[in-house]
Amino acid sequence: MESELSEPTYITLDDNLWGEILEATNGAAGPCFQCGVCTATCPWGIVREEDFTVRTLLRRAQIGSLEKVESLWLCTACAQCEASCPRGVPIAEVIRGLRYLLWKRRHVLPDLPTTLWSLYWNNNPWGQPPSQRTQWMGDLEVPLFDADRHEILLYIGCTPSFDRRAQNIARSLVKVLKASGVSFGILGEGEPCCGESALDLGHRPYFEELANKAVAVFYQNQVKKIVTISPHCYDVMQNEYPDDAEFEVHHYTQYLASLLQNNLLSFQNPLNHKVTYQDPCFLGRRNNEYDAPREVINSVPGISLLEMDRSGPETLCCGGGGGRMWMETPIGERFSDVRVREAASTSAEILVTSCPFCITCFEDSIKAESLNGLKVLDVAELAALALEELT
Amino acid sequence: MVASLFDPSEENKAIWVLLESAGVELTDVSFELLAKGRELADEVDWPLAGVLIGDRLEHLNSQVLSHQADEVLLLEHPLLEAFTVDAYTQALYAAIMERIPSVILFGATPNSRDIAGRLAVRLRTGLNADCIDLRMDKDRGVLISDVTGFGGGVVALLEMPDHRPQLATVRPGVFHSLEASAPRSDKVRRAKVELDQSVIRTRIIEQVKGEGVSIGQAPVLVCGGRGISGNFEMLTELAELLGGDVGATRPPVDEGYIERERQVGQTGVICHPEIAINCGISGAFHFVVGIQDAEIIISINSDPNAPIFEFSDYCVVGDVEQILPALIQSLKEERVVTHA
Repeated sequence: MESELSEPTYITLDDNLWGEILEATNGAAGPCFQCGVCTATCPWGIVREEDFTVRTLLRRAQIGSLEKVESLWLCTACAQCEASCPRGVPIAEVIRGLRYLLWKRRHVLPDLPTTLWSLYWNNNPWGQPPSQRTQWMGDLEVPLFDADRHEILLYIGCTPSFDRRAQNIARSLVKVLKASGVSFGILGEGEPCCGESALDLGHRPYFEELANKAVAVFYQNQVKKIVTISPHCYDVMQNEYPDDAEFEVHHYTQYLASLLQNNLLSFQNPLNHKVTYQDPCFLGRRNNEYDAPREVINSVPGISLLEMDRSGPETLCCGGGGGRMWMETPIGERFSDVRVREAASTSAEILVTSCPFCITCFEDSIKAESLNGLKVLDVAELAALALEELT
Repeated sequence: MVASLFDPSEENKAIWVLLESAGVELTDVSFELLAKGRELADEVDWPLAGVLIGDRLEHLNSQVLSHQADEVLLLEHPLLEAFTVDAYTQALYAAIMERIPSVILFGATPNSRDIAGRLAVRLRTGLNADCIDLRMDKDRGVLISDVTGFGGGVVALLEMPDHRPQLATVRPGVFHSLEASAPRSDKVRRAKVELDQSVIRTRIIEQVKGEGVSIGQAPVLVCGGRGISGNFEMLTELAELLGGDVGATRPPVDEGYIERERQVGQTGVICHPEIAINCGISGAFHFVVGIQDAEIIISINSDPNAPIFEFSDYCVVGDVEQILPALIQSLKEERVVTHA
């Protein structure tokens, strides 16, 4: 805490800037009474000697100062601090607001504009050709969404569309949905990016533009029920899209859990493995969904689910949220390194999660930590394996 | 659409290519422009002019003519000695107004792009940017440009039937240049250039070449991953033999084998080399996005199922430690033979 105490004791206040910050953060920092629980609970404290001083950022937002706020790019929006905040401050929201003011001042990390430009040009943050958005399907056949024939729209999202590793999540989920007999379609090349990375990087106005475009596409296709693969897409559609949007949004683990409850889906193929489960921040802490993925996992015969010490609301972020997927994290400061060690210490053979960003981070860390006995699977991949008869 | 300053009935049926030089030589893209310009000129039987702009450039005339231009058009003035976009644009604009060529091609280099965009606005005409191929419609005298869209996913064919001149920038390295041969003519013309000091708004005090690492422009990039166990000396040797540079994935950077500036990928550098050679790289998507635009991708990995092979034109299954020394050896031998 030394760095926090050695902050300068005087600051020049500027009423205009104060007003600007108040507007960008929606005044959300107001209730903070500077107890410092946010700084103390922030996972950066696990990997860095110098804390990420969230409390100081909140203080600056309160009094109207943008000095020494560069550390705000560290935030992974994991909401660990929010869970502990006695005043209920939406801290990640305040940080996004401050990030926007840095965008306005063109004071952002060098590679971040490229990510936004890619959303603009390519309709995805990965710099990938939009014409290849359906490449993930391989030889699977998935019909284009038709409101008359399909109950749900399966929203693939950018990372499962383009990232070769994450494509397997999409293919697995399609197999599981097909096995359940539910009617579903996709938007194919016409699928809009949900805009989450723009919001996470702090550019709310551009996010809103993308969100409005996406909503227009959903309306045009008369979509009533959306099932997403990534909790990040789910989070923005559920919490950030216009309140009057006329469609429901489910994360696929929630949807699979409801299929299981209604006996529309069952797993026959036993998988005799010890697994542990990573609650993705954007599904767990940010959306309070801890049960659905566990219901799916526990429905697989033979599986034994071992919980890590930090799980459920105490889950440790993989480090990929808050736009950190688009920034470099120095070695030794990656949450995922810590997390895969925790997973291995449960004696689990498989670390299961339900977010494509978690998978990328964990698979990198497993190699870096040489934990060769540990595999990473998505809940959808586990479910697909539990359908297939092993020959 | 706004009408251009000229319509097709006023044009002079000629093709110009704007040439750039570095010291005593034309640049590579200038030779490529001359070769493509020659091909287009022959398609419609029009003359090809190589345009040189600067100060005291006569020494370049013979290069332009031996690369099969029908004539050299010289725009010379002391104020054009160093590149400034205002002066160069003004001089070219005046020459174009005087002669009204039908087609002008530029290299998609930083300076020529800058000039081409400004000229297009002044002339109220169109500019087909970053073309990968060009041809002439013989009957209409219209230039047809191939332009990639959507990150390379589609090719659009663009033409401007009603606006003149027809401007296009072409991507360096796409067209092949011709060997020098006997000139078709010795015609050198000088365009009138009137400039005064007020057009020069920037002055070059000193040119400093950066010493930092910059792998983004390397024509050949040899990349190493976890699988090479930090043996970057071997990669460097290969890169030097091929006139290229060395890149890396994140793990060797993390391990301290190589500097962070050489990290390729989403959180590193996005590269567009002609040839990428991936050594001991599995092919995590974060890395792949930094290399997938390479024209030719060659990958060496001991695991036949490595995802990198999905993105590769040539897949070599084997041990990098055995393959690279053999490759280096044969490159050295070949070099000895060539020089003998």
